[in-house]
Amino acid sequence: MEFRIEVTEKGPDVAVLAVDGEIDLATAPRLKEALLALAEEPKTVIVDLSKTQYLDSTALGVLVGGLKRKRERGGELRLAGLTERVRRVFDITRLSTVFEIYPSVEEAKGEKKGEGGAPL
Amino acid sequence: MSTVAASRVELLIPARPEFVAVARMAVKAVASRMPFGIDDLEDITLAAAEACTNAIEHVPVDPRGTEPDIRIRLSLEADQLVVEVQDRGVGRDIDMEPVPPDPEDLPESGWGLLLIQALMDDLHWDINSEGTTVRMTKRLAR
Repeated sequence: MEFRIEVTEKGPDVAVLAVDGEIDLATAPRLKEALLALAEEPKTVIVDLSKTQYLDSTALGVLVGGLKRKRERGGELRLAGLTERVRRVFDITRLSTVFEIYPSVEEAKGEKKGEGGAPL
Repeated sequence: MSTVAASRVELLIPARPEFVAVARMAVKAVASRMPFGIDDLEDITLAAAEACTNAIEHVPVDPRGTEPDIRIRLSLEADQLVVEVQDRGVGRDIDMEPVPPDPEDLPESGWGLLLIQALMDDLHWDINSEGTTVRMTKRLAR
């Protein structure tokens, strides 16, 4: 099963990490590694989940770890483009109240202020 | 209660992370034999995968060096699907009434059990000398 994770954008303030595939016990370590590499900078990391068809509790743990590390340093980890199924996992665990979740990467970057600038 | 005998499917997978995806595909395919809606199918698949993940994370190293495995049993009954996930881990510390993690505390584990509880209609743990079995039930919508 194909699983790809790549930094699609990296600027002085924002990096975008795109995850293509399913995040589970087998693939979550790669997400963790990618987030660790972006722990110090830039300040804001956006995880693009628009091509993530599935994620489980292992992925939640890794994302929570990434969020904690960012917030400890005064930064933020934002999530963008969640599919309906993935969104449901965040809703059930109420983690949707903890993460800043945006419909798209552009909105997570705040480029479309006014319609999606605030967390859902 | 149904008078029709339940169809049963059993699957034995190595207790390794890369086989969770195999379990997911198999569970979904079997559950698809019942008239569940797509959301229910996804719920069953995720719950079963969470149980497998939990089992793999707690499976003990076999001193004889044989590869540990996980047994997945599916019972297709007239009005419900029962999924059992059994591992050979004994005596592990499982809270029978797990307290849902508080999102504000940002714990990095414990979300799996919360998901299974939310996604399935019934959840039961059986821990004995043979291992640990998680029994989950999803009822067909009436």
